[in-house]
Amino acid sequence: MYLQVGQLLQNQSDIGMILQTLFSLSFIIYLFYAQRIQAMSMLRAVEGTLRKVKEIRDKGRSVSIEAVKEASEGDYDPTPDVERFLEHFFISPTSLDPAGIVGKMGQLLNVRENTFEAEVRAMAPKASDSEVNNLENLLEASLALNIYYKVIRHFYLLGKKTMNIYVIMQIHMILPMIVREIEAYSRALQAFRDGTPIGDSVGPLVAARLMHGHEWSDVAKEMVAAEVPYNGRTLIVTKAKGPGGSVGKPGDAIENILNSRKGRKKVDAVIMIDAAGKLEGEPAGGIAEGVGAAIGGIGVEKYKIEEAVKEHDIPMYAIAIKQDITHVVAPMVEELYTACDTAVETVKRMIDEKTKEGDTILVAGIGNTVGVGQ
Amino acid sequence: MTTRMTDAGPQTPMMSLSWVSLAVVVVIGIFSLLFLWLGFQSFGGENPDQGNLYIVVGTAGLAAIGYMFFRTKAISSQKPPVEKAEVVTILECPSCDLKRVRDFQRGDYVYKSDESCTRCEGTMTITGIHRKAEPKKKR
Repeated sequence: MYLQVGQLLQNQSDIGMILQTLFSLSFIIYLFYAQRIQAMSMLRAVEGTLRKVKEIRDKGRSVSIEAVKEASEGDYDPTPDVERFLEHFFISPTSLDPAGIVGKMGQLLNVRENTFEAEVRAMAPKASDSEVNNLENLLEASLALNIYYKVIRHFYLLGKKTMNIYVIMQIHMILPMIVREIEAYSRALQAFRDGTPIGDSVGPLVAARLMHGHEWSDVAKEMVAAEVPYNGRTLIVTKAKGPGGSVGKPGDAIENILNSRKGRKKVDAVIMIDAAGKLEGEPAGGIAEGVGAAIGGIGVEKYKIEEAVKEHDIPMYAIAIKQDITHVVAPMVEELYTACDTAVETVKRMIDEKTKEGDTILVAGIGNTVGVGQ
Repeated sequence: MTTRMTDAGPQTPMMSLSWVSLAVVVVIGIFSLLFLWLGFQSFGGENPDQGNLYIVVGTAGLAAIGYMFFRTKAISSQKPPVEKAEVVTILECPSCDLKRVRDFQRGDYVYKSDESCTRCEGTMTITGIHRKAEPKKKR
């Protein structure tokens, strides 16, 4: 083989000379421009993704405008209002002095929620409470897609401008993970427009399975609770108020329920059910049991729950329903739907094992209750 | 391929080769044919080993062209980025235990009960809503 290559590359032959020159030239080019070639190939990959993300972002924008238009009055064109909404931002409080940051964060989040709700109500005065919640979620999904698009575009253009491989690498390395999140949000558009349960609705669905048919009442903003008798015990089941898309304020709900028990039999255990991220290789819909506050988000609600439970000295158990990042905001897959029935049985078993007759147990289904009533 | 990602103007899908790529394809094509011709010439002549090499280089060039066309086709036939998930609604009648599955309709939610039972006089309740199982992708 080496002999053959040597024969081809021998200088006596014209073709051999041309080939040898080409090989030498490509070697020299690669010696000096290898990094640039690598940067260009990475930029091309980012460009391809950016194109796809732009398509998804535009789709989100048009779905939002369409949905708001359907719920609005007359020949109102919501485009400028939706576009203004998509540029909304949130400034986190400073953490230079962390004391009291949870309270500040909670207050800001309340203002944000109220602002979003007021904006949606102004855009869609015909919409019911559930529809307003779904529209709010839909616009928030579009807002997230818009931010993803703008950040990827920022790094792409900056990389192109500077041709700095380290700038390009930053976005190129995390692109596969970002794309998965973006695809999940693209599916959220359908879920929030139509009001179908999503992967995150597993917590509220388990709670709904336990409390359905029992009288419920409001216990906090967008939170309901019902007393359910079970095996000689009393369950207080709480979830976000459905069927509109909302996560409610589970921290406030648990705090209010625990505080309202003063003078009555105190709560003996708290069981929280929530969706949890699965690791690659784990099946979607797998159920795991643990200890602690099973709740995601920024941490304000988790803090409130932990504080309340500590104050009343109550053991807190958690049930996690495993799912992939692509399932969380997409319409609920069958594996997660069937996992809810298994989770109900797990809750019952946990109650039987960890409590005794006459006890009161607080069961909280955490997550977005879109498409799930009570 | 030629469109650059800025907000200016609508995007062009990557469905065709740009003129630069086309020129590259043509040049590689000409060289490949030349090599193949030289290969066949040498094969019948005094130097069959060199003929082998020419044929290998020529075939590799044609394979590269084929790969470029294959890639272009693959990109143009990509699925739309936002696929619609098919969702079903499960209804159950508390009176006669009839279970029915139908396509999801807007306004459906779990524990909504306003649909009359097809078997008895009762009202059916929605007990579940989920995505239809997608057929597993072949590897």
